[in-house]
Amino acid sequence: MNIPHDISQYNHHFKDYTELRVQENRVARISLTNGDVTGNVSSAQSGISARVFKDGNWGFSSAPEFNDDSVGRVVKSSTENVQFMNLKDTSRCGLILPDTLGEYKMDFSTKKIRENQKYWVDFAREVDGYIEKKFPELLSRNVVIAGTDMEKSLSTSDGSKSYSMTPRSFLVVTVAIEKDGSPVNLYELFGGLGQMEDNLLKPSDFFPKLDELVNRLKQKADGIFPKAGLQNVILDADLAGILAHEAIGHTTEADLVLGGSVAGDMMGQEVVSPLITLVDYANTFNDKTCPVPVYVDDEGTPSKDTVIIKDGVLKSFMHNKESAQHFETHPDGNARAYAFSDEPLIRMRNTAFVPGTSSLEDMISSIDDGYYLTKSSNGQADSTSEFMFGIAMGYEIKNGKIGRAIKETTISGIAFDVLKTVDMISDEMSWSAGGMCGKKQWIPVGMGGPAIKCKVNIGGR
Amino acid sequence: MNQSDIANYCIEKLKQAGSDKSQCAVSFSEKKELNVETGEMSLFRTTFDTNIGLSVIVDQKSGSVAINKTDTESIDDAVNKVMDMAKSSQPDDANDISPAQPQQSFSKGDEKPDMDKMYQRLDEFMDYVKTTHPTINMEAAVVDFSQSTSVFKNSNGVEFTTREGMYGFSNMFTAKDGKDTSSFNGMGISTLNLDTPFIESGSAKRLLKQSTEQVRTKPVPEKFTGEIVITPDCLGDFLGFITGDISDGKIISKTSIYKEKLNQQITDPKFTLHARPVSDEITDGYFITDDGYTAENSTIIDKGILKTHLLSLYGANKTGGQRAVNSGGAFVVDAGEKPKDEIIRNVKKGILLERFSGGRPSADGEFSGVAKNSYYIENGKIQYPISESMISGNIQEMFNNIGAISSDRIDFGSCIFPWISFKGVTVS
Repeated sequence: MNIPHDISQYNHHFKDYTELRVQENRVARISLTNGDVTGNVSSAQSGISARVFKDGNWGFSSAPEFNDDSVGRVVKSSTENVQFMNLKDTSRCGLILPDTLGEYKMDFSTKKIRENQKYWVDFAREVDGYIEKKFPELLSRNVVIAGTDMEKSLSTSDGSKSYSMTPRSFLVVTVAIEKDGSPVNLYELFGGLGQMEDNLLKPSDFFPKLDELVNRLKQKADGIFPKAGLQNVILDADLAGILAHEAIGHTTEADLVLGGSVAGDMMGQEVVSPLITLVDYANTFNDKTCPVPVYVDDEGTPSKDTVIIKDGVLKSFMHNKESAQHFETHPDGNARAYAFSDEPLIRMRNTAFVPGTSSLEDMISSIDDGYYLTKSSNGQADSTSEFMFGIAMGYEIKNGKIGRAIKETTISGIAFDVLKTVDMISDEMSWSAGGMCGKKQWIPVGMGGPAIKCKVNIGGR
Repeated sequence: MNQSDIANYCIEKLKQAGSDKSQCAVSFSEKKELNVETGEMSLFRTTFDTNIGLSVIVDQKSGSVAINKTDTESIDDAVNKVMDMAKSSQPDDANDISPAQPQQSFSKGDEKPDMDKMYQRLDEFMDYVKTTHPTINMEAAVVDFSQSTSVFKNSNGVEFTTREGMYGFSNMFTAKDGKDTSSFNGMGISTLNLDTPFIESGSAKRLLKQSTEQVRTKPVPEKFTGEIVITPDCLGDFLGFITGDISDGKIISKTSIYKEKLNQQITDPKFTLHARPVSDEITDGYFITDDGYTAENSTIIDKGILKTHLLSLYGANKTGGQRAVNSGGAFVVDAGEKPKDEIIRNVKKGILLERFSGGRPSADGEFSGVAKNSYYIENGKIQYPISESMISGNIQEMFNNIGAISSDRIDFGSCIFPWISFKGVTVS
C-alpha cells in the first residue's frame, strides 16, 4: 500500500480530538534447517485507524482499506464507540489531554537496489554451507534471514503530522551439538536498524563470527554448572540492557505505576547505586541513531529522551498524553502502536544504562570468584522489579581471569536491590537491536548499555 | 468477490502462473473490544480486517505470502510474489498440500456480540474487585468478541468454510497495600457466551484473593529438595517444553529428546494428555489444521506413553514420521482422583507454584526460574506467600516423578488443566 508522507488532507473528517494513522508492516522471513528451506514467507498488513477522545473516554476503529470514504468510516466508527462509552459512564467527563505538536519525516529505507528473494535464499544457503563444511560435527544448523519494515503516517487534530519508515533486519544463526547424548545449542543475531541490503552485505563477512559462535558452543558443551546462590557477576551489555528494560523500565511506565508497580512510591528517592543513570533514548545516543528511533510518537508527541534514573535517583516515569495529564507532567513521545489496528500504548524505545568509567578488563580483574555473563536467552520481570533472565552463555571468573564456560542457567533478584550493589560500570556502550517487547501488543525495542558489576542470585541445583 | 470467489480466483491465477500445487485461505474478521486501563473502563475498539494467505509449490519448491487486501491488483501482485518466492527456493520432496477431502462447513458461536452484556459483565467484574479487594489495582482488563468467516481451498479440491464467534476475557492486576506491592498476576478465558460472570470464570476469584495476600512475602526458609504443586494456570509453561519438543522444529533438527520415544514411557503412568480441538469440552478449538486437513482429536501421551509426535504434513514427509491429526493446542490433561486440597495436605515440604518466571529450558530439559505468586508449604499446610525463591530441575525427570493429579480442573476455554504435584524439585 502506498503510504503518503502527509495525510492531513483527511483532517476534515475530525470533529473531536482525533489521531489518524495509515500504516503498513511488511515482514519477510527465510529459514533453513540443516540446509533445507523450511520457511519462505512474506506478509504485508496495512490499513488505517482512528482514535477519538471525548469526555474522558476513547473510541478506536481500524480497517484495511485506505481512501477518503474508509477514513470517514473509521472516524465515524471511533466516534460512535466513544459515544457508547459516554452514554454508559460520564464520570471521566472534564478530562483534558495536553496539546502536543510534532512534525517529522524519517525514512530509513535502503538507498541500494533491492535484492530479490533468490538472492536472500542463496545468501542463507551460503552461510549454512560454510557452517556445514567447516563444522560437520554439529548436530543441527538453523539459519534465518528476517526483515520487518514499519511504515506509517500520522495526522492528529492537534496539528501533528509525521511519516516514518523504520526497518529492522537480521541474520540469526542457531547451532547445536550433542554432548553426552543431549543437545546443547547457542544462537547469535546479527543486524538491526535498516533493511537487509544495508545490514547483510555479504555472507563471508559473517564467517569469522560464525567460527566464534561454534567455538563458544563447544565451550558451553564442555561447561560447568555454576554455583547456585548470590554471586559476584559482571553482566555484559546484552544482559544489562535487558535488566534496564525489563526490570526497571517496565516498573516506571506510567500505566504500570498506576497499576501498582513498586516504583510508584519512589519518585525523587535514591533507588539504586549513585553510579547508575538510566535513560530511555528517543532516537539518538552520542550522535548515533539508536536501534529503534522514534521522532514523533503515535499520539503526535515529539520524542525526547526520558531520564528515568539520574545518579541513582528516580527522576521520571514514561508517559502517554493521558498519564502525563494525570501526573501533571509532559509526555516525551512513548505512545507507540505496533500494527495499523493497534492503539498506542506506553512503550519504551531505546532503554540503556549510561556508560561509566571502568574498563571491562579492570572489572574482570576485580573479581576473585564470580561469573561473567554474556548472553541471555529470555527475560521477565514484574511490578515488584523482581526479575529472571535465562543465561545462554557465560564464564566463571577465577582470581581476576576468565575461566571455563558455564552451562545454561538463570539469574534472578529484585532489580532495585541488585542495582544498589553495582560498584563498577564499563565505559563502552553496546546496543542490542533485536528486542521485541510484549504488552498487549508486541513492539520492537532497543536495549543496551555498558557492562555492570553487581551481586545477583544464580539458579541451579 | 466473496470469499469463495477470491479463493477460486487465487487458485486459478496460481495455476496459470505455473504452480504445481497451491492453497488459499481467505478470512474476514471483526473484533469488538472493551478495555479497562488502570482501573477505568475507558476504551472501546472496533477493528475490521481481511487476510489472504497463499502457499504454492513449484517443482517441489515452496513459498507463502499473506496480504490483507482483496482488490484484484493486490491479489495479482501477491500471486506474482509468491510464485517468485517459490521459484527462488530450494526443492524439497517433503513439500506438499493436503489431499482431496469431502467439502465441509463449520460453525460455532454467536454471529454478533451483545455489547450491552459485554459492558455489564466487565462493569460487574470491576465492581466486584473494587468492593471485595480494594487493594487490587486492575492494570488492564479486556473483554472482546471476535467473529470471522473463512474459506480454505487448495488445488487438490479441498474446500472448507468456517464461521466462528467467540468472547474472550483477560486481565492483569497487582495488589498494593501501603508501599507493599504484590507481583502482577492475571488470567484469560475464551467462552461462547456471557452466561457466567467473569469473576466465576477460570481462576479469576482465586488469583485476585491470592494477590491481596501476596503484598508481603518472604523467601523460603532454606534450600531444599521437595514437592511442587503446579496449578492449572502455570502447568502450560512446563507442558510447553514437551509439546514443543515433539513438534516439527525439534524433530526435524533432531534436537528433540523425544525423537526416538514413540510408544515408549516418557512420563509417569498417571499422566495423560490429549489435544481435543473439535471436542465439546474445548470451547476455543479449531476445525482445520494449519496444513489443510479437518482437525481430529488425539491422545498425545496415554498413561505416560508417547502416542504421537505433533508433526505437520511437511514434518511427517521430512522425517518419515506420521502426520499428527491436529495442530496441537486445545490441550486437556486427564483429572486424577484426589482433590487439590488433599494433594497439598500430603506435601511435607514444598511450593504451591501459581506462576513461573523461568528461563527457556535447555535442550535436555534442565530449567530454573523464579516462583511467582506462590506459597511455601510445610507439613501439609500453606505457610506464607514467597518471593526471591527459585526452583530448578529437569522437565523430563519431573514428569516422571508425579506425586498426584487433582480431580478438580480449570477450564480456560482453550485448555483444561488440573493441579499436579511433582517430587524431587530443588527450591532455593
